[in-house]
Amino acid sequence: MLIHKNMKLADVIHHDHTLVPIINRFGIHLGFGNDNIDEICRKYNTNADFFVTILNSFHDAHYFPKEQLQLFPAIMLIDYLQKAHHYFMEEKIPEISLLISKMTTEFPLDKTTFVLVNNFFKDYSGELKKHIQHEEEKIYPYVVSLEKTIQGGEQADNLSGQTYGYTISDYEAEHENMEEKLFDLKNIFIKYIPEPKDDKLVFQILRELFGLEKELNEHARIEDLILVPKVKAMEEILKNRKK
Amino acid sequence: MKNVIIIEKQYLVQAGIEVLIQEIPGLMLLKSYSGDELHLTGIILKHKPDLLIINPFSLSPENATLPRKIHSIQNMSLVALIKKEALNQLSFGYDEVLFYEESKLALDKKIRHQAGNYQGEEGIPKELSQREITIIKLIVRGLTHQEIADKLFLSIHTVNTHRKNINKKLGIKTVSGLSVYAIMNHLIEMEELKNNLKPAQ
Repeated sequence: MLIHKNMKLADVIHHDHTLVPIINRFGIHLGFGNDNIDEICRKYNTNADFFVTILNSFHDAHYFPKEQLQLFPAIMLIDYLQKAHHYFMEEKIPEISLLISKMTTEFPLDKTTFVLVNNFFKDYSGELKKHIQHEEEKIYPYVVSLEKTIQGGEQADNLSGQTYGYTISDYEAEHENMEEKLFDLKNIFIKYIPEPKDDKLVFQILRELFGLEKELNEHARIEDLILVPKVKAMEEILKNRKK
Repeated sequence: MKNVIIIEKQYLVQAGIEVLIQEIPGLMLLKSYSGDELHLTGIILKHKPDLLIINPFSLSPENATLPRKIHSIQNMSLVALIKKEALNQLSFGYDEVLFYEESKLALDKKIRHQAGNYQGEEGIPKELSQREITIIKLIVRGLTHQEIADKLFLSIHTVNTHRKNINKKLGIKTVSGLSVYAIMNHLIEMEELKNNLKPAQ
């Protein structure tokens, strides 16, 4: 189903409840009544077209209106990506971490295994954190300054010497590495964990891992396919201005 | 799993074949094309599907040579999808021909035949070999593939192949994932790993 801004947000959530964290990222919370997306967005001072585009790209992995997303200002995109980062690091990772350590304490018999899994997850989240920090401290500020320079009609001189310093292939390689670790972790739970005493807890962890994977893939897709090309396009504009 | 690509301009026909593919165990639809995409031959060569279902009459003039160019790819079934009346215009040897007019049952039978019997992951034994276990132990101790090759008097190419097979068999790709596996299965002791593991950068 393609989500449209004239739809009631409640109907959309009925159709795909995994969108709840996404709408939260825009500052919209459950209990929004019978309003349609456009009305709700106006209430929350959010760009409805952008909101719908993000919902759609999340809801359907094959949906990707690159051109349309390219039209939105980079700063809007970055604001969204930062909120997503916050959600990953402050909510999702601690949640999963808690579940895994619960497993460690509940099965004192086979401690080694769970300590290992725990460490593996800590490693993983440490890497994720590093990746996110690099984006927030180096890449996003650069993108914002690019956009400001273009809007201000200035020359690129004050930006010279700075480069994006990061090509799409680096980006993709890093994302791929993170994906592989998560995939391994899922397989450890599915195939290799000693028979758990608490099936429910393991299922809960697994469900969280699959959820995290889906959300991270979506996130990486937006970065790889929207942010990077947008930056390249802006760099091109500035290069031409110089001439 | 066998990967499938469909090339068919008629939208409804394309969608119908997609549904059929999804109902056959062991087949996975990679993508569908309508036949007028740029550089389609290159795209197909890159994906190397196990099964290509193609309506040659959907191809744009630029892509017309596609069937001829990919015909030589080994281990790929090339299946034509056409109207019955077009059969005598089919200038090329296909492994199978599907007709627009055929029933679901008939199409299903033909595609299943081309897909072969699904026997799970072909040819890869589930258990690790002794050699692979030796290599895992060295990998989780932090040795590079080159170091392992030197130590075991193997070529680096052989070590790479072993590693690929290990990844496939276990479904684990990263070194840290392999470490967890190795300790869980008592291939290596935790203390041993602590002493030998290179400190993380």
